[in-house]
Amino acid sequence: MIPQLLYIDPGSGSFIVQIIAAGVVGVALFFKNIKLYIRSLFTRSQKKTKDNPPA
Amino acid sequence: MTDTFPHHPASYRDPSGFVFEIDGLLYRQVNQSFKEHFDHFIQSGCYDHLVKNGWLIPHQSVPQDFWGDHRFYATIRPERVAFISYPYEWCFDMLKDAALLTLRILRAALDFGLILKDASPGNVQWHEGKLVFIDTLSFEKYQERPWIAYRQFCEQFLAPLLLMHYSRKHMPNLLLAWPEGIPLPIASSLLPRRSRFSLYAYLHLHLHARYSLKPVVAGDAEGRHLPKKKLINLIGSLEALLQRLKAPREKTNWSDYYEEANRRPDYITAKKNLIQSWVNGLTAVETVTDLGANRGEFAKLVAENRRVIACDFDGQPVNDLYNEIKASGEKRIQPLILDLSNPSPATGVGNRERNSFIDRSDADLVMALALLHHLAIGKNIPFHLIAATLSRLGKKLIIEFVPKEDEKVRLMLAQKKDIYDDYHREAFEQAFLEHYTILREQTIAGSERVLYLMERHEGKAGHTT
Repeated sequence: MIPQLLYIDPGSGSFIVQIIAAGVVGVALFFKNIKLYIRSLFTRSQKKTKDNPPA
Repeated sequence: MTDTFPHHPASYRDPSGFVFEIDGLLYRQVNQSFKEHFDHFIQSGCYDHLVKNGWLIPHQSVPQDFWGDHRFYATIRPERVAFISYPYEWCFDMLKDAALLTLRILRAALDFGLILKDASPGNVQWHEGKLVFIDTLSFEKYQERPWIAYRQFCEQFLAPLLLMHYSRKHMPNLLLAWPEGIPLPIASSLLPRRSRFSLYAYLHLHLHARYSLKPVVAGDAEGRHLPKKKLINLIGSLEALLQRLKAPREKTNWSDYYEEANRRPDYITAKKNLIQSWVNGLTAVETVTDLGANRGEFAKLVAENRRVIACDFDGQPVNDLYNEIKASGEKRIQPLILDLSNPSPATGVGNRERNSFIDRSDADLVMALALLHHLAIGKNIPFHLIAATLSRLGKKLIIEFVPKEDEKVRLMLAQKKDIYDDYHREAFEQAFLEHYTILREQTIAGSERVLYLMERHEGKAGHTT
């Protein structure tokens, strides 16, 4: 394992929040993609929005 | 940690290396302890990719160990940024773009198996007309762990931007009060309740604030795992949140300045012609500091072949100017928020980490157009103090004297008692002659205002007071 030079305090809470937030964002993106897919069935051209990063 | 090397005073945090200056050139030592990360950064192609896109400051390798230091691994010489500015001098959209640039670089770094080990606006600088990342030693090998700079990013970028977005006020001083970032519990308590209804603002700020009070657990940094795909989702959510944040649109006295000035086209044209002919007649004017620049109309006038710092105390016109520069690709004007009655102080460790504005400004020419009455009457600053301050900012000065009979001054005096018996040309000239020689003076056609061109007395105490 490569030693990390931890010179800023990352905060234990920040690690937990990242893991929670990443999970919630994943779920949100899942539903968003379903929404976009359904919408694409009713529209001719599907536009990718900026808010939809590659998952 | 004891150290005998002449570090740059701002280069003490990161043990990966340090910045130093020799004969006016800026260098950076890379330490042995960072060898593996630095080599990977260069050899993976990440450095080339970032430089090619104009996101990272380029550097040259210098095959020399200047200090005979046992920690030495390599020396690099980064391209030098002409004028260092600090986040408390930036407008909203500049801070937002610095945040987006940081995330863009983070995404790119992940593609090369690297991650950013810090995320501070101080790692971004204005360089040749755009924002670039300047911290070449911020990249370390990525190991599917949570991002260690996440909290720093939220405190230093997200918190001030969210506070300005929701309050609809420009508040650059937030980062002057908290240069290390606004503690999340404080930001959370200052934000309105409705900010909690934004999912991403809730997650990254409010929920984060609650968890940030949790005590640090030993070994946590090594123990946690976050897959890359999830980290990329997290970055995407930060980007989406930032993209939605809108710069405040404040209506201030200054917003209508040009519209109002346009009602006096003769005056504006005459003033422009006069300034242009004077400036073109001067030799050795490469740098200009325009104080009270508003949306930079006069800064643009003199920007051809010159580098101009366009300052205003009001965040709104600076933000407008920034967006205009961004759209036009203008490279020579640097927008800056600066209150001349309270210029940015020296801050940080020993007050040497970030220099005061006055210590950073050494322009060939200073312009103070339609500014004098705001300082002398609006803020009660005596002429001799204005002259002493301006003389510390640059060698030559173009200043506009606005007499009491002027419509704008009359408006100001209608709201306050006229205690300004000394506000007249003779007193003005007397105060400025202490520090300057008057080279030219001319009344601007279509007004009663007088434009002066002055040159600072060199070697006099004036610019060191």
